[in-house]
Amino acid sequence: MIKTDYVLVEGELGRIKKNAKKIEANYDVTITKKPEIGLTMLKAQDSVEHQEFFLGEALSIECEVALDKTVEGIGICLGDEPERAYFIALFDAALKIENNLKLELLQFIEEEYLDILKKEKTENHHILKTKVDFNLMD
Amino acid sequence: MGYVAVRGGVEAIANAAHLVEFYRLRDNTPPIEIKQLKAQFRLAIDKIMGEGGLYAPEYGAIALKQNEGDVFEAAFVMRAYRATLSRKFYSETIDTENMFVKRRISASFKDIPGGQILGATRDYSQRMLNIELAEENETVVREFLEKFNIDIDLKEIKKYGRITGILRHLGFLKPFAKEEDTSLVDVTRDAVKFPAPRSGRLQMLARAETGGIMAIGYSSIRGLGGVHPTIGELRVGLVKIYVKDRTGRKRYLGKVEVTEAETINNELEVGQNGKNVPYMSIGYGLCFGHNETKAISMGILDRAMRDPEGRGVAHDQEYVLYHTDGVESMGFVNHLKLPHYAGFSAGLSTMRKAVKRKEEEDQKLNPSLAEV
Repeated sequence: MIKTDYVLVEGELGRIKKNAKKIEANYDVTITKKPEIGLTMLKAQDSVEHQEFFLGEALSIECEVALDKTVEGIGICLGDEPERAYFIALFDAALKIENNLKLELLQFIEEEYLDILKKEKTENHHILKTKVDFNLMD
Repeated sequence: MGYVAVRGGVEAIANAAHLVEFYRLRDNTPPIEIKQLKAQFRLAIDKIMGEGGLYAPEYGAIALKQNEGDVFEAAFVMRAYRATLSRKFYSETIDTENMFVKRRISASFKDIPGGQILGATRDYSQRMLNIELAEENETVVREFLEKFNIDIDLKEIKKYGRITGILRHLGFLKPFAKEEDTSLVDVTRDAVKFPAPRSGRLQMLARAETGGIMAIGYSSIRGLGGVHPTIGELRVGLVKIYVKDRTGRKRYLGKVEVTEAETINNELEVGQNGKNVPYMSIGYGLCFGHNETKAISMGILDRAMRDPEGRGVAHDQEYVLYHTDGVESMGFVNHLKLPHYAGFSAGLSTMRKAVKRKEEEDQKLNPSLAEV
């Protein structure tokens, strides 16, 4: 669940759309809640005394769908990305149904995850090049 | 003297708004795209989001464009915009220890587990004006990126334990000795009352104006306050946001960039034998985006406000929190430009009467003045 959300939130929208179209082609899709922006209050805590406090709000968007009027899907993500929220909801519902399409979607999730990981590792490589190598002065 | 209702200025106000747009556009340059602003003005947008109290990089970029780069106004616009939206979720407590670290340094220890990672910083630059940027074009950008993205080593991404963990392990780091209110409040829902719980103070500092808290934090470091910490750890990176959806399932929403500062302070507490025993406490700073000045200043003021008997304004909760909210302080300073005709006229009338009375008294005391 979390991995699927992670991929659909961080992944490339064009490829996600391509797979979301497969869901639309296989089911009767009803948008039960149109994408709607709102706020998510972020809770934080200090690192020593663990005092909780509210850091601030983040813009978020949620959307809900039903496949064949029976299987519900909920999509939520940060930002004003109605299309992405809709696709997350589609995947959420489609992955509840055991069939070949689910396997296909899961394979896409795995492939996309590796691609996201590669991008993150690339950024991490650049960051690690700024690690200080201390040498004692003569 | 009563108030006199006046009307007028509607057309002038509308034309002033058009004139603002004219000055923004009159050179007929290509409109700046929001994605350009998001990419190339990230630090300004981080300030806008932090001070606006709304994490939304795209909207922060729009606010920056709308206000011609005025970060104060842009934060104001963001704060106003957030007031139009309803709150749908509360996140799980964000986990800064396991953030995707982009920068992480300590001024307390040279050798730290995982090492000092400078990340993207201008700390060691000589602040020379780079006039070459005047000639920057797409070719320059492309060539830079091509050179930058070679020989990539795809290592596993590490998590970094906290440096303050070392001090805690040694038994030096302890919670601040004075007891205080630890309840969780939300200053966007309930007006803050003083003394404010620490949660309210941290929330207000997190959306305070950077320059405001920097100035008061600096006053403490300079000696007009009792807090002059060492940076235990400063880290910048991405934290993951999780919420529960309406069915109770944990959902991943995305990442938010934050800056976190743990400032270390030397303290004394009375031991069992009645003698003072030294220990260390932290001041904590956490804010949206990459804004180190803000996180460090927040750490200084967090610690200072926990000791209200301390000398200097940094220790005074009301002084710090009421005067460092950028939207409130900017709003109040700028309201001085709005018509105060009735009040000023009343003051003028009172002054005229006072001057006349003084003249009459002077004449009584010295009638010869009347002939002058």
